[in-house]
Amino acid sequence: MEIKIEHLIKKYKEKTVLNDLSLTLKDVQVLSLIGASGSGKSTLLRLLSGLEGADAGDIYVNGIHMTGPDRAAYRKRIGFVFQDHNLFPHLSVRENIYLVLEKVHGRSRIESKPEVDALLEQFGLTEHADKLPHQISGGQAQRASIVRALAIKPSLIMLDEPTSALDPVLTYEVLKAIQKLAEEHIDFIIVTHELGFARTVSDYILFMEEGQIVEQGDVSIFESPQTLLFQQFLDKVLSFESHEKSDKK
Amino acid sequence: MIRKKVMFLAALGLYALFFVFVWTQALERETNFSVYLEYAKVIFKGWVTTLGISAVSLLLALLVGLILYAMRISGSLLLRYLAEIHKTVVFSTPLLVIAIVAYFYIGNAFRLDSKFWVGTVTLALYTGAYISDIYQAAVESIHMNQWQTAEMFGFTKLQTYRYIIFPQVLTGILPPLAGQLAMTIKSSALLSYMGTDEYFNVTRTVMSISFRYPEGFIIMAIGYWIITMPLISLVRRLEEKLNYRLQA
Repeated sequence: MEIKIEHLIKKYKEKTVLNDLSLTLKDVQVLSLIGASGSGKSTLLRLLSGLEGADAGDIYVNGIHMTGPDRAAYRKRIGFVFQDHNLFPHLSVRENIYLVLEKVHGRSRIESKPEVDALLEQFGLTEHADKLPHQISGGQAQRASIVRALAIKPSLIMLDEPTSALDPVLTYEVLKAIQKLAEEHIDFIIVTHELGFARTVSDYILFMEEGQIVEQGDVSIFESPQTLLFQQFLDKVLSFESHEKSDKK
Repeated sequence: MIRKKVMFLAALGLYALFFVFVWTQALERETNFSVYLEYAKVIFKGWVTTLGISAVSLLLALLVGLILYAMRISGSLLLRYLAEIHKTVVFSTPLLVIAIVAYFYIGNAFRLDSKFWVGTVTLALYTGAYISDIYQAAVESIHMNQWQTAEMFGFTKLQTYRYIIFPQVLTGILPPLAGQLAMTIKSSALLSYMGTDEYFNVTRTVMSISFRYPEGFIIMAIGYWIITMPLISLVRRLEEKLNYRLQA
């Protein structure tokens, strides 16, 4: 993917969430946005998806201007995975997928069935395909929402904290599913608190704080943080992880 | 299953016992329904009229509710205020007063003398105000993220309503709607004040010429039950069938 952001400003009422943010990225397959809650990373993702508009500045994703006329068409090519799966609760897993394919993309059920079945199989959902969202686990629902995003053959998938509503076992199961995307060379942007995961799959990482990109680069930034803010963030997260490990011993 | 049935019958028996007590304590003479048999044809005609008023006003009320709801979410401030004012007037005025004013003054002003239609439309405009609230509550109960997801995937506004919001709203409105619909049927009794020859009015007339009051009230109650109870059970069954949350 290719991303170009110029002097981006986003405010909610009086509060400035993204503050004069600029960025140029080329040839990135997996981009991770990390940072504390309220750092602006989810907002940035929503702006990149075209779901929300900016107050000032420009965003180009794969050459498409987010305020330009191609935005609607671009949006249809984005697969989005939300924090709480956001499956339509009155439809089975399978119908959730077909509804988008049929109504938005005008693809017939017969035509798309082989692909949908293959995706369900690949993500271990075949036996749950005809169940309603409340009849399956949170991890299965989140995998179903990944399948729903993949089924539209997106040019890019965006995942907004896809595991933060799940317990550790389910988190692992969903991260494994996301890892598959990386292995199949599908471009995606993920907002995550799972630093270990970000380190494993990403080829570019943005660390954000107070609406700014404080640090960026490939996974090597975890080894040698350049700023005090990032160092402190890593210390907090990692020290807690090591505490947890020693507690278990 | 058997336990459930036994308990239901026990509850029913207990409830009926109260009325048996009242019957034995308050009634001085033997009951006699013969005069009602004599007038059975007229009473049945009145009952059919009530059925007609109920059916037409229910359908109209569902439509009025929808129109009022659409007005309230519309971009036009004028339409929104109009709907709001209508709702406030309906909520604050007894139906009896509205029925009398509608028939004697509003109906008269427009030179309408069909009691059936003035009554039916009045009932629909009245119930519709309550139904628009039921619609609104059901739509608002749908989580923000459903709209957002639909927008994200590129559904149009109309598609979002049709395929995502409406099916979920349907299950949400059925329980309150059942109560409201039964209320409308019962409220049709108030149209007797317009002199409409509906069930309540006809039965009351027979009561006053025969002085067989208790019998008349029993017949009245049963007549309304025959309409309301199947409706309520139909809506319940529909709810069980449509409500995805009830499917284990």
